[in-house]
Amino acid sequence: MCLGIPMQIVAIEGYNARCTAKGVMREVSLFMLQDESVAVNDYVIVHVGYAIQKMTEQEAHSTWELLDELLAAENLDSEAA
Amino acid sequence: MTLTAQDWLKKIKALPLTRRVRIMNVCGGHERSITMAGLRAALPQNVELIPGPGCPVCVCPEEDVYLAIQLALHAGVILVAFGDMLRVPVNVPKSEPRSLEQAKAAGADIRPVASPQEAVRIARENPQRPVVFFAAGFETTTAPVAAMLLEGIPDNLFLLLSCRLTWPAVAMLLESETPGFDALVAPGHVATVMGPEEWSFVVEQHHMPAAVAGFSPVSLLAATYSVLRQRLEDECFLDNCYPEVVRSGGNATAQKQLKQALDVADANWRGIGIIPSSGFALNAQFAAHDARKKFTGYETEGRKRVGEMPPGCDCARVVLGKIYPNECKLFGTACTPRTPVGPCMVSDEGACRIWRASGVETSTTSA
Repeated sequence: MCLGIPMQIVAIEGYNARCTAKGVMREVSLFMLQDESVAVNDYVIVHVGYAIQKMTEQEAHSTWELLDELLAAENLDSEAA
Repeated sequence: MTLTAQDWLKKIKALPLTRRVRIMNVCGGHERSITMAGLRAALPQNVELIPGPGCPVCVCPEEDVYLAIQLALHAGVILVAFGDMLRVPVNVPKSEPRSLEQAKAAGADIRPVASPQEAVRIARENPQRPVVFFAAGFETTTAPVAAMLLEGIPDNLFLLLSCRLTWPAVAMLLESETPGFDALVAPGHVATVMGPEEWSFVVEQHHMPAAVAGFSPVSLLAATYSVLRQRLEDECFLDNCYPEVVRSGGNATAQKQLKQALDVADANWRGIGIIPSSGFALNAQFAAHDARKKFTGYETEGRKRVGEMPPGCDCARVVLGKIYPNECKLFGTACTPRTPVGPCMVSDEGACRIWRASGVETSTTSA
């Protein structure tokens, strides 16, 4: 749960954004970033449905790769368990 | 040129370490990354990585979980909570529901949510029924709860708030006779919200090396290298190994929202006791949404083991970094992810569950 997920902003309406990560679309609140300039195509770290900080595209992509590896490892372990 | 995990490991192994160094992390996410990447096995033998109080579900007061169960069973509310709260056991006689999950099986309306916004949605969809959002978490989760409150919540949504700050438990350990660690890796997303400066006290008051880390093996190894080097050179400073997201000052807007919506208060930590100024309470403007004020009379007198970990459970020592998960007598035998005894085996952020998930099967001590 500490693990915020990087997501890319696809659309913004007021404080709410549609964001995407790894093929999944989510509604995300930008309420905590209201004093930052946030735009479509920006990347943000999302925790429990809220964007907590902006991040770079490079960092988002490397975190996505890392999450893929973590998920793969966890799936293997839960199958083995 | 960015260094790879292998590069960092080489640098660490090249350090002239003569004595054991114990490095504590206080984030379930860090522990998961460390364990899943097998970092402990890759590091030199005398570098120990210790999981500390980084699991908010594990330290959530037993009384709060019990209250949530009672409200769900007897107060006619819809009880919503983050998913891994549902399996946390409380100390009740065998005949009573021992967790929110068991209460749900007994007919209570209990629903897992992944976001404060889901709690709001459920309340809006059920305007005739009270909805209680049992919200447990550290600052990274508390800030979104504050945001939810300031955005405006419906009259029928109540908060059973059980949120904590991460650093006070570390401060308590450092002020005790035997803290049990020599360096600190500070939590990356807590620092993203609250700013890395929250951890300056580790360096300034306790002259202990510290580094904020992200969740990749690269970031964690960079932080490990940093604190080891700081120690060797006897020059402590608060390093930031997650600069892409952790900025000086953190997220000022989020901090302002926290202050507006919530007050810092003394808080109970399961198995540990009260730590002053370590938790959050609803600000007076939200008193009408406080489940603790709205629903009273659900505690029973004479309940045994109130506030403690379950009988025989050693979670408190795991949480404080006094023992490793597999040093608990029950690890892997009586206590497994399918049959958890204590919260450390229930929560995704719990060190015991993480170690089991990575393939550590049994305890090193016999029951």
